[in-house]
Amino acid sequence: MARSTDEVFPAAPGPEHERAREGDWPDDPSRRVFVQRLSFMGGGVVLLGSACKEKAVVDAGAPAVKPVAAQALSTSHLTFTNQDFAILSAATERVLPKDDDAGALDANVPAYIDRILQTPQLENMRKNFVPGLAALDRRCTRMFQVGFAEATPTQQDEVLTIFKNSPETSGEARWYEMLIVLTLEGFLGDPSYGGNKDRVGWNLVGFSLVNKNKADPGPGYDGASHLVGLRCGGGKGC
Amino acid sequence: MAKDAVDVVIVGSGAGGSPMALELGRAGFKVVVLEKGPWYKKDEFVHDEILNSRRNFFMPLPWDEPHLWRAGPDKPYSRTNEAWTANCVGGGTIHMSGYFYRLKPIDFRLKSELGAIAGANVADWPISYDDLAPFYDRAEEELGVSGNAVPHPFLEPRKKNFPMPPLSEHPVAQEIDKVAKSLGYHPFPTARGIASTQYQGRDACTYCTLCGSYGCENDAKSSTLAAIVPKAVATGNVEIRPRCMAVEVTVDPKSGNAKSVVYLDAEGVRQEQPAKVVVVSATAVESARLLLNSQSSRFPKGLANNNGLVGQNLLFSSFGQSKATFRVSKQKSQHPWLETTAPFVNRSIQDFYLMPDDRFGFRKGGTLGFMWSHPNPIFAAVGMARKGEAGIFGKALKDKLREYRDSKILEFEIYGEFLANDDTNVTVDSNVKDKYGIPVAAITIKRHPLDFKLTQFLVERGEEVLAALQPEKLERVGTAGETTILQGGTCRFGTNELTSVLNKDCRAHGVKNLYVVDGSFMPTSGAVPFTLTIVANSFRVAQGLVERMKKGGT
Repeated sequence: MARSTDEVFPAAPGPEHERAREGDWPDDPSRRVFVQRLSFMGGGVVLLGSACKEKAVVDAGAPAVKPVAAQALSTSHLTFTNQDFAILSAATERVLPKDDDAGALDANVPAYIDRILQTPQLENMRKNFVPGLAALDRRCTRMFQVGFAEATPTQQDEVLTIFKNSPETSGEARWYEMLIVLTLEGFLGDPSYGGNKDRVGWNLVGFSLVNKNKADPGPGYDGASHLVGLRCGGGKGC
Repeated sequence: MAKDAVDVVIVGSGAGGSPMALELGRAGFKVVVLEKGPWYKKDEFVHDEILNSRRNFFMPLPWDEPHLWRAGPDKPYSRTNEAWTANCVGGGTIHMSGYFYRLKPIDFRLKSELGAIAGANVADWPISYDDLAPFYDRAEEELGVSGNAVPHPFLEPRKKNFPMPPLSEHPVAQEIDKVAKSLGYHPFPTARGIASTQYQGRDACTYCTLCGSYGCENDAKSSTLAAIVPKAVATGNVEIRPRCMAVEVTVDPKSGNAKSVVYLDAEGVRQEQPAKVVVVSATAVESARLLLNSQSSRFPKGLANNNGLVGQNLLFSSFGQSKATFRVSKQKSQHPWLETTAPFVNRSIQDFYLMPDDRFGFRKGGTLGFMWSHPNPIFAAVGMARKGEAGIFGKALKDKLREYRDSKILEFEIYGEFLANDDTNVTVDSNVKDKYGIPVAAITIKRHPLDFKLTQFLVERGEEVLAALQPEKLERVGTAGETTILQGGTCRFGTNELTSVLNKDCRAHGVKNLYVVDGSFMPTSGAVPFTLTIVANSFRVAQGLVERMKKGGT
């Protein structure tokens, strides 16, 4: 029933998040990166001490809802420019690099992220996540005189580590969390969302529960189209 | 324009609201149930972790409908989606794991038995275990509970065994029995709100394993959606209105009685449903919010809140947890049961429910429940990746994922007494509104230090059991948590109008046609999950209300 918390989500300004950091982050406040819970319940909801509390606030912002279900995946990306997509691809592959087992690119993780950021639930995350790719690229260029997508794996890891280890409320740290969470969703989520291609992610972790039950997503299932429908939970907030 | 008046309007269709609807409908009264979420059909419960557990299929998004949360009155609030349960017909009983325990007689008279506790608002219940026992029987029967009541020191008095035999258990349950008994404890099978056999037209569990945090695709889980709502609708007297968000309970200025519930319907149109009786059952947090937002000249601080106690004495369940990891490839010869995939462990230990003395610093303890770790892979992987300096990515993360593939993780969680206090409560913040424009619930939580003593102690005892099973790794998740899907307090019931919100019938003092039947009535948390108690109490309250309404009263 209970579950601890390891969750991330884009969020909007609370006092402690107001600090625009110098450096890679554009100082336009609307572009600040904030992180909030992404996993609502692993198997329940539990709070466990202050260390696990990661809360913040989000601009409601007018949602520009595009029906993702209607859109086919293609080489022209839904969320990213080709350049950003290349940076994203490189970053996800460093999170889950191919070795004897499949990596992020084998699972089509970037395609998952490109598509899921079009869902209305992640409207705010999209606004925060996309500029982070340019920030990653700028940081890499400054450090190594080469863009992130062209950098060596060692250089890429070094830049990602800087983001990871940045202060908890910094844009870098929050962007890193989004990258991790989106990558793992794309690697281990239902294949209908466009990632976890041929179940390579599930095979890696030995998850085989979705295979024969009547509640398992069948042919034609499209999780993202269900998400779009969920935007309207009733009432005038739709 | 107001709709035609009905006998009873109920806000919420979960553990509290549904039994009321059923009993009132059976008695011939016209009932409307306003449920803010959708009415899912069982084939909409799909095994899709992203949809179910990571978006707003059940819980609202924090920027649409936040709860404010602060760890003590001196801390700033932040927005969260904590302390929501599922927004849909069936409420939290949809995604529950269905660990169904009864309270013990001691839980009803904690203050008399243990005395006052400094810094805590401990109170006796105005009813006894014996008053509630017939309704526990009733709740177990109506919902369908599987289990086997075996003797142990804290087995509550029961007239009969559970309506269904226990679910099939994983063989590790026997191993837990062996080691726990060798430590002097009395492990017993955890009763579950899950059908182990066909039950009242519902199918038996298929052991799909994706259970807690998911809706059940074959109605085997004893949610009110599966077990209660169909019977209520079949009476012909109950109308469920999904996607209807209650805004306010209005009051007749002359009588001071509740007059109607104003709500926003599925199209966002403001509607008014008048009724002779208003029942609020939207979770302890949300019910308090609704009453506090229902301000009128008679009740300027919120409905039934003239003594200022609505929202006070909020309760969750004290939580602690540890995990034992077994490496299947390495340990399967030592532990042949590692190769069995059965989902249910179903073992509990309640030897520390009440300590004989305070040598460990506390008297009222709690329950240890053993289970396999939740199988959701994204959830597990995000936990492994961590963040900040402790965060890992690349080969290190993939190695963890490979380790996980070769692991079975046995864990326990604690349901411990959670002491109500002056600094743990729900208010509303008129400056922060949800997507409907309604002021949101603001939760302040300051834990009583005794809570942590008992969770610490129970975690240590649970770890002794896990360690005796010789796992490769034993990790403590924590000893100072709270389970926020288990909610109580905020409208505690009692005999004194100055110190409680509801009377023992769960009717508001001073508003003689207003009832609250979720966990809000509970003055103390007990040390088991609240769900079965909420259902049982709702049946109890319904019986009293039906009797009074038949005589023309409320």
